[in-house]
Amino acid sequence: MTAAVAITDTATTALTPDAVTTAAPEPTASPAARAPRTPQPTLKARRTFLGTMRGEWIKLLSLRSTWWVLGSTAGIMTLLALGVASSLKALMADPLTAHAMSNANGAALVSSGFQLGMVTIAVLGALVITGEYSTGMIRSTFAAVPTRVPVLAAKAIAVVALTTGVAAAGIALSYLVTMGTLSKYGLVPALDRAETWRIFAGTAFCLIAAALFSFGVGTLLRSTAATVTVALTVLLLLPGILGFINVHWVQTFVRYLPMPASQAFLPSGDPNQGVGTPLSATVGVLVIAAYAIVPLVAAAVMVRRRDA
Amino acid sequence: MIEAQSLTKRYGSKTAVDDISFTIPPGSVTGFLGPNGAGKSTTMRMIMGLDRPTHGTVTVNGKPYARHRSPLSEVGALLDAKAIHPGRSARSHLRTMAATHGISTRRVDDVIDMTGLSSVATKRVGGFSLGMGQRLGIASAMLGDPRTLILDEPVNGLDPEGVLWVRHLVRELASEGRTVFLSSHLMSEMAQTADHLLVIGRGKILTAGPVQDVIDSVSGTSIRVRSPRAAELARLAARDGVTITSSEAGTLELRGTTAEAIGEAAAAHGIVLHELSQQRASLEDAYMSLTQDSVEYRSETTTTSQKEENR
Repeated sequence: MTAAVAITDTATTALTPDAVTTAAPEPTASPAARAPRTPQPTLKARRTFLGTMRGEWIKLLSLRSTWWVLGSTAGIMTLLALGVASSLKALMADPLTAHAMSNANGAALVSSGFQLGMVTIAVLGALVITGEYSTGMIRSTFAAVPTRVPVLAAKAIAVVALTTGVAAAGIALSYLVTMGTLSKYGLVPALDRAETWRIFAGTAFCLIAAALFSFGVGTLLRSTAATVTVALTVLLLLPGILGFINVHWVQTFVRYLPMPASQAFLPSGDPNQGVGTPLSATVGVLVIAAYAIVPLVAAAVMVRRRDA
Repeated sequence: MIEAQSLTKRYGSKTAVDDISFTIPPGSVTGFLGPNGAGKSTTMRMIMGLDRPTHGTVTVNGKPYARHRSPLSEVGALLDAKAIHPGRSARSHLRTMAATHGISTRRVDDVIDMTGLSSVATKRVGGFSLGMGQRLGIASAMLGDPRTLILDEPVNGLDPEGVLWVRHLVRELASEGRTVFLSSHLMSEMAQTADHLLVIGRGKILTAGPVQDVIDSVSGTSIRVRSPRAAELARLAARDGVTITSSEAGTLELRGTTAEAIGEAAAAHGIVLHELSQQRASLEDAYMSLTQDSVEYRSETTTTSQKEENR
């Protein structure tokens, strides 16, 4: 208390609030530092869900990572379809696969790249939310929309819209680049057949589910690395790894993993595909839908309770 | 107007904010002062509904923040200069915030001009300096033309021009009738900016009130005199309300009088002075003595809670 220092500090000369007000000089480099004059807000502002959706849309489109992920998803789908089409000659010549190939579905061949596409689009689903947690942006987001759940809904809608777009682009590109090769074997998917559109829609559905799965998991885990690891493991690695374990309950479990479950309603372009007895198409669709919905619901419950 | 009632936040066994109650009035600048880790940011996050209080409530303009229909027009917050995605441009960041409330792009450009960011508005935030990030944070806070501003360490990383600008800005916002609540760990900064102080240490409110009262309560002005005839001078100066102490021979510490009075008395009696100076505990000293107490207090509570755990 009595520790004393001579009054040399200039700060102590302007201690009274009044002195501060009059002494504060006009800022020189910021001539526009002038706020509106009224104490009551004059600015028209009202938080709406439509506004929250617009905000999320701008967020997604204003990041380079979004465009990279979308581009690579469409690119990978196209390249894989091209690869499968290029293998047709060898597959047709090989007596072991020739029979299976004669029954191959052109639409399935065209969309055969979706399995890897599911992983890249899962990265988008993760980044949409984990990118906010890792950068601290989430605090700005939740300050603007403190009820939080609308943010998740708006993000989910934006992710679904972008994924649908990229699925359509990927399938269209795959269709175009494989058309030449497929026509030699009469496998160009007929656009007037319902079956073709059912497969294309199923492909888009799987991509959307993968993106939402990863988004839900990302909201729960809040870490990009952890979320991408989980998505990669569940979507791509587990069926292959567990496929070697010939135990009944493991094989049953494997059938309910996303990739094998998708085979229940998407005839595979790959003739060697298929683990155990497949699920029925309806169950397959429901299982895939559950992968999208269950983490999302858990995320919506948790996001309100946890500190941002 | 911000009102907190027994606000408490615990993270596991650590109590970050310990049962604090306060009211931040509109039309003035209230400084939230405390050392790092005192609970300032946690309190501000609870006001903004980002952290859920373990106990107690806090309202802004009469309601919990999350209940407001237009949150950005109620409160503008600079919580953390890093609460911005580095991959987005400054303008895109503000547009995403504005979009949620249907705030026009014109307002976005206004706050960019206001904060002096026009030349870097389209640059990605990742390349911003600390000061530029801080300006962008203030721009986000101003976006909704809010009635209440919560600024966590707003001058952190700003150059002297920026510090002056913030000081001027918050004074002007308060003069318009808005509530301004800003935190700092620098008492000298607070003394120049705030009308009221709320001093926090280890999660507890240590003292609150007008800036000058808070400073006076912990530091008194005293006069230091050195003279070969100190004893004689002490007799001359002695009257009601004046306390005189002497720590060494020939040196006096006087309280309740002025340097002028001592100087005149000495001259009238031909007493030689070797030193006559006004002594003031510096703001930082005052602040240290405030927060030091809270450290001691804190260690007591730690031992009791440990006893409870052992039981």
